[in-house]
Amino acid sequence: MKSKWLFLTIAPCDAAEPWQLGFQDAATPMMQGIIDLHHDIFFFLILILVFVSRILVRALWHFHYPKNPIPQRIVHGTTIEILRTIFPSIIPMFIAIPSFALLYSMDEVVVDPAITIKAIGHQWYRTYEYSDYNSSDEQSLTFDSYTIPEDDLELGQSRLLEVDNRVVVPAKTHLRIIVTPADVPHSWAVPSLGVKCDAVPGRLNQISISVQREGVYYGQCSEICGTNHAFTPIVVEAVPSKDYGSRVSNQLIPQTTGEAEAEMKE
Amino acid sequence: MAEAASPNSPSLAEQYFVKEKEEKTDAGPKPTEFKEVENPKEAATQEAAVEKTVEAVDEKAVEETPTASEESSEATPPAEEQSTDPTSDAPEVSSDAVTEQSSGNTEEENVGDQVSAQETPEIKLETAPADFRFPTTNQSRHCFTRYVEYHRCVAAKGDGAPECDKFAKYYRSLCPGEWVDRWNEQRENGTFPGPL
Ligand SMILES: [Cu+2]
Repeated sequence: MKSKWLFLTIAPCDAAEPWQLGFQDAATPMMQGIIDLHHDIFFFLILILVFVSRILVRALWHFHYPKNPIPQRIVHGTTIEILRTIFPSIIPMFIAIPSFALLYSMDEVVVDPAITIKAIGHQWYRTYEYSDYNSSDEQSLTFDSYTIPEDDLELGQSRLLEVDNRVVVPAKTHLRIIVTPADVPHSWAVPSLGVKCDAVPGRLNQISISVQREGVYYGQCSEICGTNHAFTPIVVEAVPSKDYGSRVSNQLIPQTTGEAEAEMKE
Repeated sequence: MAEAASPNSPSLAEQYFVKEKEEKTDAGPKPTEFKEVENPKEAATQEAAVEKTVEAVDEKAVEETPTASEESSEATPPAEEQSTDPTSDAPEVSSDAVTEQSSGNTEEENVGDQVSAQETPEIKLETAPADFRFPTTNQSRHCFTRYVEYHRCVAAKGDGAPECDKFAKYYRSLCPGEWVDRWNEQRENGTFPGPL
């Protein structure tokens, strides 16, 4: 009954939808900043577009050959040349200021992160490591995240976006995500989180995000990494931070007890 | 237009500043703890009466039987997309499924109890802090340095010195397991490239 009207709810859109032209809804301050910057710049863009099209259309209209068979021989006009050089160079400067401000604020790690998650790209799946909680080199909570094949999709799941093991992160917590591949360059990109980070072999790239609301966020690889490049999606599931602990420990318990039992047997 | 620029309108930085009730100063010596082994039995029995049993188990139930999750489709937003199929005979099915679930639940509990009796891992939300030596996106050096620091610490203070533990935590947080394995191997062979 209720599910029939679910489509009426104003739910944030965190995955791509068919024929989408705009952004996915922001879930981090970074993405909010990106969207705002885009809209700010678009204001100037439309202004310039209207102005330039007006000049162009007007020129075509008035200097059409039946109306104006003999063209004027003006080849030089100092004033207009100065104006049309100065103004177009000022506008990008005004666009650059907020753009750089945003760019550098995205790089900045303001607060110490609470969690480090390693996103390791492989051909063609992803491995995630949660190693904040282990007390030896071997114990870390590691799992692989494969795309769900088209034939196994269930109703409501997005094609080539769903994975078998999602990355679970707490919401409203500062996260550090270390992005690196194990073979060829990959990328870790989630539009709703405003994140697109290349994974370069031999290098650990850090991104710091803070997901502002609970939800499931989808992303795809953004660096051509081979034949199955299209089949390495990313799914981030943000849970309330009080649930995060139980999620992680539920996954940790089988591992640690498994090891403990193994040790006891030895 | 004038009021848009009024002095108490928040600046861009303020606007985007993460308001945190749960803000914890992780850098500090005592981080807030998530002692979270939330007794599965308790939770289950409390909520058994309510039809939201599913929610209590759903983390565990996701793997096994997503049958009962139909009714909880609006209660549990993220975990299940597969629950959205509106079956016509939903009531009977779900009541069956709930009993099924609760029976499954008791099994789960028992397992859970045994496990938690054996071991209660305690999740502290704590990780390697941001290091001013490595302010860039590239953190490869950060990881390497922490690894070296740990092993120099162990070399100086002796094996299992408690003051070295934090370095161990840091490098484990930062370095991919593969890298650590490779470096461990290199140290054993004496081919580790760093200053130890
Ligand atoms: Cu790729």
